[in-house]
Amino acid sequence: MSRKAIWLLILFTLLFLIGVNTGDLEYLMNLGNTICLACIGVG
Amino acid sequence: MNAFRRLVQTLITLGTNSYLLFPFGGPVIYQGPLKAICHPGLNCYSCPAALLSCPVGAVQNFVAGLRYTQAGSLPPLGTMVLGYLGFIGTLVGRLPCGWLCPFGFLQDLLYLLPGRKLSLWPPLRYLKYVVLVVMVLLMPLVVVDRYGLGHPWFCKLLCPSGTLLGALPLLALKPALWETVGFYFWNKITLMVLILLASVPISRFFCRTLCPLGAFYGLFNRLTLIKLDYLAGNCVHCKACAKACPTGVVPYETQGSPECIMCLKCIDACHFHALDFGLRQYKEAPRRLTAPLPPGKNP
Repeated sequence: MSRKAIWLLILFTLLFLIGVNTGDLEYLMNLGNTICLACIGVG
Repeated sequence: MNAFRRLVQTLITLGTNSYLLFPFGGPVIYQGPLKAICHPGLNCYSCPAALLSCPVGAVQNFVAGLRYTQAGSLPPLGTMVLGYLGFIGTLVGRLPCGWLCPFGFLQDLLYLLPGRKLSLWPPLRYLKYVVLVVMVLLMPLVVVDRYGLGHPWFCKLLCPSGTLLGALPLLALKPALWETVGFYFWNKITLMVLILLASVPISRFFCRTLCPLGAFYGLFNRLTLIKLDYLAGNCVHCKACAKACPTGVVPYETQGSPECIMCLKCIDACHFHALDFGLRQYKEAPRRLTAPLPPGKNP
């Protein structure tokens, strides 16, 4: 595995952890629990 | 190997779409804690049976909310989803397209239908990068309402998975929604039908031309932990691997192609063991000699 890939894995892990700790999890849960009107094509 | 892949695709598609209470008086869509997790493939979270969130929908909604600020609070940045998708991409590249994506599975099944098979015009492959940048990232950020809130334009304008798994079942379950549909719905229905029809003669048509998730994962195909090994000494250039590839890759010409979905059909097709699948080895760069050479010895 290249050194670049290892750094990318570390970077993405950090991004994931930052997101989890800044409210992304709750936002995603609320998002997933509502019907996506855009997916239906409302408008 | 292909039979095993079909089994995995079936289990993942059914397993991640296994909420079955919606016809029996339960909520119209699943609303449990699993919705905090994104599916690694394209799977509409508004599908009544879906247990997981859609990664492309999630990214767009995070981006769409970046300019919508409430007093005293920052909008969620969506780095969790970016980190999640980037981690998967760095580890396995486009393998989720070949093994885990329900819409990819559907296209594989459509391609099994009999009929004349066609090859894709190669420049169309680049369209998916335009979709990723314009519809998934730029439009939700730039095209906003007076409150600063954007829309998930890929879901709204194009996503055939959303139309097939989300819109049609929801409209069947809640007929009142028919009163709200308009241009966008009929546009999406038309595109979905065209995409599904094109998937019969052209293998993985949507994945190769329009899928923003595949475009994102493909960026990492040269770095992934797992990779396709090409053993040049065994290769007789019979092109059996190229004929078997559903995305038009020629494995003996390009390794780590962003089009490769790691379905491993090429390995099955090769009778000369010229292709293999394994872990990428870390190769340390050769070190430069620093010690002085003895007099009279040339490097």
